[in-house]
Order: sequence, then C-alpha cells, then structure tokens
Amino acid sequence: MVRDITLGSRAIAKRRGMTRQQRRTLSFYTFILPWLLGFIFLGIIPLVVGFLTSLTDYDGINIATIKFMGLANYLRAFKDPDVIFSLGRTLIWMLLNLPIWLVMSFTLALILNQDVKGRGIFRTLYYLPSVVPTVAAITAWKVFLDKNNGLLNGAISLFRPGTAIGWLSSYAMQGMTLIAVWGGLGYGMIIFLAGLQGIPDELVEAAKIDGANTFQVFRHITMPLMTPVLFFQLVMGLISSFQQLNLPLILTNVGLSQGAVPPRAIYLYMIHDYQQIFISSRYGYGTALLWILFVGVILLTALVFWSGNFWVYSDAPKEGGQK
Amino acid sequence: MNYQMQARLTKRFNRLLGYTILIVVAILITIPIASLLVTSIKQDSEYNAYPIRILPKVAQWVNYVRIFTITPFVQVAWRTFLLGFTVAVLTTVTSAMGGYAFARFRVAGSGKLFTIIIALLIVPEIVLLIPQFILFARLHLTNTYWPWILGALGGSPFFIFMFRQFFLSFPRELEEAAEVDGCGPFRIFLQIFLPNAKPVLATVMIFCFMGVWGDYLRPLIYLSDSKTLLGVKMAKAFVNPQGVTLNTVSMAANVLYILPLIVMFFLAQKHILKGVVTSGIKG
Repeated sequence: MVRDITLGSRAIAKRRGMTRQQRRTLSFYTFILPWLLGFIFLGIIPLVVGFLTSLTDYDGINIATIKFMGLANYLRAFKDPDVIFSLGRTLIWMLLNLPIWLVMSFTLALILNQDVKGRGIFRTLYYLPSVVPTVAAITAWKVFLDKNNGLLNGAISLFRPGTAIGWLSSYAMQGMTLIAVWGGLGYGMIIFLAGLQGIPDELVEAAKIDGANTFQVFRHITMPLMTPVLFFQLVMGLISSFQQLNLPLILTNVGLSQGAVPPRAIYLYMIHDYQQIFISSRYGYGTALLWILFVGVILLTALVFWSGNFWVYSDAPKEGGQK
Repeated sequence: MNYQMQARLTKRFNRLLGYTILIVVAILITIPIASLLVTSIKQDSEYNAYPIRILPKVAQWVNYVRIFTITPFVQVAWRTFLLGFTVAVLTTVTSAMGGYAFARFRVAGSGKLFTIIIALLIVPEIVLLIPQFILFARLHLTNTYWPWILGALGGSPFFIFMFRQFFLSFPRELEEAAEVDGCGPFRIFLQIFLPNAKPVLATVMIFCFMGVWGDYLRPLIYLSDSKTLLGVKMAKAFVNPQGVTLNTVSMAANVLYILPLIVMFFLAQKHILKGVVTSGIKG
C-alpha cells in the first residue's frame, strides 16, 4: 500500500488499466465458457473423432478389433457406384429445389413489398408452413397426394374414375421438391422482404422521375441491390440441399429398420451415408462419406463466394453488414 | 393520351397478376393442412375406402378423444414438452451470455472466436451430428436425454450471433452508470441486459423449443421406443393394443402436434419474423 503512494499517478492509472483489462478478459472468457466448452467437446472433438473413425473399419461396437485402414475408405467412396449415383440425385435435387424456391420466394417478396391489400395476412399464411415440423408436413402432404387414399387422386377420380397416380412414389423427386418449397417459401420470402425494405425509396423515386419504367427500376436498381441477399440465400440453400436427409427419410418412413430403402429417385447422398452408418454399421466408411461431404460443401461454398465477385453488388448494405 | 391509357392498363394487369399469384400460392399453402384436418375427422374405413371419398359422411370428432384414450400421446407429448422447455431455457441462457460477451468485451482472442462463430454458421449440421452420436454411443449416453442437455449447455452459434446483434444496439450509458456504482459485469448482465432483452429471449426460446418438438433424426437415432419423442411417434401411425392401425386417429394427433407451434407463432409472430431476419435461421 505504502509503495503505491510512492508511484506516480500515471503509473497507478496504468496498473489499474492493466488489471481492468485483465478483469475484462476474465469476464469475457467466463461468459463465453459454456459455448467454448461446447465448441471443444461437441464441435472440435467430434470432428476429429469422426475423421479418425473414417480411417478405420469401426463397426460401432467393437473397439478392440478395430483396424487402421489408411485412406482406403476414401478410395472406396470414389469407386462406389451408389456414391456416384446418389451424388447425381443430390445434384438434381439441388438444381430442382433451389431455383424454384429462390424464384418463388423472391417473386412473393416483390409482390408483397408493393402496396397490396391483406399484406399481413398473406405474409403470415406463407410463413406458417415454416413452423410445421417436417414429420407433420409430410403426413399432411401424404393425405393429399397418396396413391391409394390421397384426396388429389380422389378429386381426379370424379372426372377420370380409377386414377391412382403415385405423386410421391412415381414422382418422388418432384413430390419432395413440392414439400420442401412449401415448407421453405415463407422463410425465403421474409429474408427477401427484409432486403427489399432496405432499398432506399429515394433511389426508386429518382429513377422514376428520370422516366424509368417498372421493369427498368427492377433491372437496374432492385436487382443489383438485392444480389447480396440472393447470395446469402444461395449459400445457405446450397449447404442445406447437400445435407438433406430428413425429407427422403421421413417420406419413405425408413426409420432404423433393416432393408427399407427410399426409392432410387430420392436416394440422396446423405441417405446413402445414413444407410452405411445406421443400417449396415459401416461407421468407418460412413464417416469418410461425411468428410467428403464436408470438404465438398466447403469447396462449393468457396466457389460461390469467388463467383460473388462477378455478380454481387458490393456497395449494397450486406446482410448483417453493420458489425 | 394513348400512352397514358396503355400505362394504366399495364398497371391494372400487373395488379391482377400479383393478386392471382398471391391467391394461388395461398391455396397451395392451405391444401395439405386442410386435407389433414378433413381426414382427421374420418373413420379409418372411410380413409381406406375405394373410390376415395373427400369428405367424411359424419364428422368423427371422437378421433380427437381417442388420441387420449387409446394412444400414449399425452405421455410422449409431456416428455417432449419437458425436454423442449429445458433445452430452450439452457440454450437461451448460455447463448445470451455468449452474445453479451461478444457485444461488450473486446479482449485478446475475442475477435478470433467471433470469426469461429461466423464460420460455424455454414458448417453443415449433419457433419457434427453423426460424429456426436458416435461419441455419445461410446460414452453409453444413448437412450438418455444427456445429448440434448449437453448440447443445450453449449449454446448455439446462431443464437449467440442473434443476441450479439441485439446487445450491440444497447446504449452504453446504462451500463456505464451501473459500472460507476460498482456493478460487476455479471450484475450488469443479469439486471440490465437480460431484463431488457425479453423479446429476443422469448424468440430464441421459441426457436429452441420448436427445434426439439419438431426434431425427427435425433430422437430416432438416440432413443428407444419407450423414451422417444413426439417427432418419431408422429412419423408412424398409432396402433391400438389389438394391433389395429389407427390412421385417422394419428392424423388427429398430428393436428394436435402442430397446434402448439402455430399458437406460439401467432402469439410471437412479430418477434419471430424479426429473429429470422437477423440470424438467418430457419424456424
């Protein structure tokens, strides 16, 4: 204490400053600790364990007889015809689902951004499917689209008796797209709507005074200013398309039973992976497929980010830009 | 003159087109829900009848009673509710703590950790979910609810991000005054930040609850039939003790399964939609 008094006032301030900063550091790490522990134990460690598993022939039970396989699982993946096939189906799924979802939710946002009657009601109604759990959504759609008991076939049968079209079996991919778009439309619309509301009115007014018509305003003002939002949606959509598992899994009610497999049309990459791990107990091979997906998604995301240099308008306020 | 008329016509046509699209989409949105409602008050024999009947002869409201008398709906729903509620509270508290830390403390390492949070937003969930399962299985924690509790204790990068964005908009004067009065960061967090963040707290809790309530994959791989959650139960038709499938009763149960979420959405619509926009999370 006595020595403190002998120090100059600046030195005291400095020392206090140091301890204050240290205290702040301590506080920061205390507040962040739960997440940090979660990140280490449920993020990093599972990722590492997953990778290590992918180098073995682990079957989910016997750890004593586990064999190191090197990269054999990865090499096997590239020769597995089902991997190639399911990747193809996943690509088709993405190319079908993503553009339809983007165009439809953007169109709805554009319309609802105008001065229309019942705006709030439409917005609420469109968002409603987003809160319906996938299981219930599929049950509901099955009631409507089922081959033998579905109401749609029932309605068609009034005009063309005996109609039994397998909307969800013969056209599984299209049916699944319908359900996914139905469930995601409101979410997409809300994000686009927020973006549209961020476009300053003065810009649109100025363009109109200069004689631009609706289409020109859309082409030269709305579209460029919306590219960052479109970009965000595209990235998120790509990631979720590739990891799609729930829809085909629930649609065909595969569960954990042996031998039940979704129809080939919706045999997506993650379904193949799921089959390897949970049905055939090929944990090593299954985690290798998972890591291939992970790296693939990162590369694809990087590609989209790079492509963004050419089409994303960079002066526009980005999603969550004000950090 | 001619040009003006043309312009007015195009405008009217655009309006008409806009409304047509809105109404067609509204019908498409409603169709499956309406189908589910109609079929949930049919008899099973009517559901299986050929040719397919669209409306029931007599509305079988008794289906909604039978959910409670001949299926374990209440037990499973209660279990799912308790777990969902617990997970929601834990996730919300730890995420709020994280969000507060990132919004208010700029210390060594905080920037790097925040970059990790952002990066985690684009890591496919499934890439972590399956290795987590492998780990929990080795620890003999499958068929318990620990995977949910431990996951909730870690918070979620989405919600940490959401809380951070929200807390950044808080005026600094409030806490500076409190600091002068000798309040530590914990009291500031508990007495200033949390009470003023009620809408976000409610939104995050609803998101978390919906996540557990609507989940299918996790209960499927972690839990046995006697412990499972509503999502898995709903994917299969209920069977009565005699082994007869109760299709329309389980559709009625599906209606009850959706109902709480729809009520919650209506109650907190404004906040939920705002939360969707700030975090980019899909509700």
